[in-house]
Amino acid sequence: MASTRNALRDNAGVAEALGRNYSAGFVTEIEMTGLPPGLDEETIRQLSAIKREPEWMTEWRLAAYRHWLTMPQPDWAKLKMDAIDYQAISYYAAPKQAPKSLDEVDPALLETYEKLGVPLHERAALAGVAVDAVFDSVSVGTTFRKQLAEAGVIFCSMSEAIREHPELVQKYLGSVVPPGDNFFAALNSAVFSDGSFVFIPRGVRCPMELSTYFRINAQNTGQFERTLIVAEEGAHVSYLEGCTAPKRDENQLHAAVVELVALERAQIKYSTVQNWYPGDENGVGGIYNLVTKRGDCRGDDSKISWTQVETGSAITWKYPSVVLRGDRSVGEFHSVALTHHYQQADTGTKMIHIGKDTKSKIVSKGISAGRSNNSYRGLVKVEKGAERARNYTQCDSLLIGKKCGAHTFPYMEVKNPSAIVEHEATTSKISDDQMFYCRSRGIGEEDAVSMIVDGFCKQVFRELPMEFAVEAKKLLEVSLEGAVG
Amino acid sequence: MLNIENLHARVEGKEILKGLTLRVKPGEVHAIMGPNGAGKSTLGNVLSGRDGYEVTAGSVTFDGIDLLALEPEARAAAGVFLAFQYPVEIPGVNNTYFLRAALNAQRKARGEKELDSMQFLKLVREKLKVMQISDELLHRAVNEGFSGGEKKRNEIFQMALLEPKLAILDETDSGLDIDALKQVAQGVNALRSPQRSFLVITHYQRLLDYIEPDFVHVLAGGRIVESGDKALALKLEEHGYAWVKDHGEPAGASA
Amino acid sequence: MSQPAPLPFVASLLDAPLPASGIAWLDALRRAHLDAFAAAGLPDTRMEAWKYTALRALGQRRYANGDAQAAARAVDPAAFDLPGVDGPRLAFVNGVFRADLSALDDLPAGLVLQPLAQALRQDAEPLRFVLSRHEPEQGDAFVRLNAARAEDGVALKVAAGAKIAAPVHLVFLGAPAESDLAWHLRHVIELGEGAELALVEHHVGAEQQHLGTAVGDITLRDGAVLRQVLLQQAATGSSLIRRSRLQLGARAQATLHVLELGGALARHELRAELAGDGARLDTRGVFMPRGRQHIDTQLAIRHQALNTASESVWRGVADQRARGVFRGAILVAPGADGSDASLSNKNLLLSGQAEIDTKPELEIYADEVKAAHGATVGQLDERSLFYLRSRGIPHDEARALLTAAFCRAVLDDLPNAALREHLAGLLANQLPD
Repeated sequence: MASTRNALRDNAGVAEALGRNYSAGFVTEIEMTGLPPGLDEETIRQLSAIKREPEWMTEWRLAAYRHWLTMPQPDWAKLKMDAIDYQAISYYAAPKQAPKSLDEVDPALLETYEKLGVPLHERAALAGVAVDAVFDSVSVGTTFRKQLAEAGVIFCSMSEAIREHPELVQKYLGSVVPPGDNFFAALNSAVFSDGSFVFIPRGVRCPMELSTYFRINAQNTGQFERTLIVAEEGAHVSYLEGCTAPKRDENQLHAAVVELVALERAQIKYSTVQNWYPGDENGVGGIYNLVTKRGDCRGDDSKISWTQVETGSAITWKYPSVVLRGDRSVGEFHSVALTHHYQQADTGTKMIHIGKDTKSKIVSKGISAGRSNNSYRGLVKVEKGAERARNYTQCDSLLIGKKCGAHTFPYMEVKNPSAIVEHEATTSKISDDQMFYCRSRGIGEEDAVSMIVDGFCKQVFRELPMEFAVEAKKLLEVSLEGAVG
Repeated sequence: MLNIENLHARVEGKEILKGLTLRVKPGEVHAIMGPNGAGKSTLGNVLSGRDGYEVTAGSVTFDGIDLLALEPEARAAAGVFLAFQYPVEIPGVNNTYFLRAALNAQRKARGEKELDSMQFLKLVREKLKVMQISDELLHRAVNEGFSGGEKKRNEIFQMALLEPKLAILDETDSGLDIDALKQVAQGVNALRSPQRSFLVITHYQRLLDYIEPDFVHVLAGGRIVESGDKALALKLEEHGYAWVKDHGEPAGASA
Repeated sequence: MSQPAPLPFVASLLDAPLPASGIAWLDALRRAHLDAFAAAGLPDTRMEAWKYTALRALGQRRYANGDAQAAARAVDPAAFDLPGVDGPRLAFVNGVFRADLSALDDLPAGLVLQPLAQALRQDAEPLRFVLSRHEPEQGDAFVRLNAARAEDGVALKVAAGAKIAAPVHLVFLGAPAESDLAWHLRHVIELGEGAELALVEHHVGAEQQHLGTAVGDITLRDGAVLRQVLLQQAATGSSLIRRSRLQLGARAQATLHVLELGGALARHELRAELAGDGARLDTRGVFMPRGRQHIDTQLAIRHQALNTASESVWRGVADQRARGVFRGAILVAPGADGSDASLSNKNLLLSGQAEIDTKPELEIYADEVKAAHGATVGQLDERSLFYLRSRGIPHDEARALLTAAFCRAVLDDLPNAALREHLAGLLANQLPD
């Protein structure tokens, strides 16, 4: 009889049907300028010159480049990745018309961001959210600058910060992720093109959400953005980033570095909805998303919280981390990673407990479908002096189909006898019982799957600011479209 | 309304239902009783379309349509409701959200207008009052952390909201103490109407003290071996199912 | 670049000639493994499998090859006496078989128990497959060294259907010698279809600083049942590096109770393959390093067939300046539907100088599975402690009581009561006073 059709158990059906609509896959036709592909010291000097950077910045980049040359590309995550030809990448691409203010931004660009649901005109802008839009290698505009300036908040592109606030940049850049930290961070330090800079002075609660929207458009480019957020004593800020790219057959590299500094009693909340082009259903194309993100709870009673929803990219390699240096500081990591087709995600976090009475919490939800592989890799480290450090980690994996993999690799290193570190992990699939229960109440298979997946992720979605939570939920729904049937 | 003709069904290759025939008219309450393993729960699952239950012969029509040809959600939309013996927990999915999704999916399938959240909440409040359920249950995830009694009451509450034409109560009394049983029965009685029929599947007679059936059937060895009015249930109570075996089961039909 | 000089450790172990068995394939195999060992040297902490076990100190040490005097070393049999264990026995001193300490008379029907060297002399061919098997991987130094230099070990076979009730006692003794020496043993154990065996692997020794390596293959044919106790009480100055490979056929069942108590550097790589449908593995273990001990357990379980189950319960207690390392990896291969895997590792850190590193892993490639793991590092439950104290038990005593109970949990389902009590006593002794 028809109702014995068993879509969820029929893995072939699920795998075939796990179609994805990547709605952000269009290309913007706009006149571009940039550097030809290739990387050597001269490229870096040119890049630095185009950006009218001071001498110290050029030298900083060159030192990072020289260090990078001595490093091997890491392979411990067991990712299946084509060798990256660093000479085939263009390290700078920008719209030809450099806008001086938002009013001068090329209409084609504004339209691009409209289409992505990120209107840049302030009158149309998301209420209460200031946006910095980064198109390929450059920032094309930042909204609500005036209102922010009145509160004493600096929110601008990194290029501008290097020119306008060199003392702050020099003080904090590379202080959390040193240029030689790892292979991709070294590369980023040498060639980073733009990104956002946020500075919240002492005692200021940022009056609105800050957000950066990253878009890769040009062919054969890599995006190497660099973001630095500094919250001084008692300052609070919530920051969101979103990412998309056109559908292209070749793999494109995105190697970002994000550094967060929280001084005494400061709080930084950093949310990401990552929807880079994941490649097609045969694993062709897609972004290599190789990112170093780290926060430093430098002051006592500070707090840094990472929330991420990762649905895009052919390969994701990122471990947003928190160094809990200050006493009583708090680190959090909330993650949803969804992979399908041939996507590979290796993501997690590091919580390094150094200060006394530090606390960290990790909630990771992995969903694997198609032929994808989805790994949680995390480290909780309690140093000798971290008296009464406390960590709780929860990792849950959900499998949809029989050809995917879901993996959990937690590392726990504890050197203090008063610390308590706990890790729990489960792996399951959507149960036939849950599906039947929903269907017997009249809810169709697809809706039931997306409802159950949404419930599975609820703990993380709760951490997102409202607008992003809605977007994240929609993204998962789109990703699971045609998952069954 | 519901016509079951000579129904045969297998689970994991084993024949459980062996020629069951039953007719239910609108507004009637039928109790299906029987010993463990007689096929009571199988009947409920086959009617609502659970995977793994293979119908090998016979037919089921519901308001003239072939029920067995429909997907579970289509059966729900057609007006069949199964109150589960073991309601499933769905972590993270809010009860209210779930109910609204279910109700609107059914309305949509029937070509009715979907309810917006205000209309839905109004409806929920009405039903809550009737069912005497605290709205605290609504804010929790579907069945998660519910006690046995709460789960069963939640099932009846869903039934009140979804307003099915045919409600199948699968051992709704199991695991309930007498107070919870009364509450559930009150909920069911409040929903009785000339248009709505019930199949009350139970092992014990005591539920029928509170939900009075029009007909009582004894299911044994995969078929109905005895039918009668509520006096039959009392007779069973007195003599036990062994009496049915001696009395009613055809030779060679034992499971 | 010029080749760096080999580590003293590697150089010392290359010195002596390889044993000559007169069996061509075996001699060739030994040569190949020694060459590979010489070429690769020792693994370092950049290798994932050795991340938490540094071999720098070991690399600087020199060892003599084997013990020519082993047959004459005086040994007190009381050293390896175990209550509840009085069946057949095979004993080795510094890696050399000692008939005088063994008990091989009147073996029960269906049991073949003899030194591997003897089995090789009788008929090497049946052992060829298992001894030749090697899947090279990074950091295999000790396995290669063992394959090159091991001349003897345990050869044990239980005939199909035979049920060996009295536990077979395998004793590995370390005895003081004129210099630090390295010994190597290779074990081949097979349980035929439906066979049953109780086995005790027992490492014990007087104070010395030898290095021992042991590589074992245990094969359980369909329906075989193994109950194994592994008691590691090596001398606290010694190093002991073991790899055990356990293969379970259809419906085979293995239950392991493991106590890792001894050794300056002790590492046990325990790899199990649930290769047949319905196979089941239960492991219960505790590691309790103290002083400057470093105890490393690497448990890897592969579910490769339908409806296989594994349950692993491990406890670690590190005191003083000791370090406990645990990896518990569960892999469910594609198609291994119905797998049910769980692993729990709880640890107590008793000192500010001690360290615990634990890494539970799940690698899942099938969807009809139940898989879960959990790990904790922390202290005794404050509420339990308070409860005991509120009943009048002094703080320190209450602590000791709870710590002992924490460790003892791994022994609860060991059926040999006499042995269980003895082991519980050993655990209690290892705890701080």
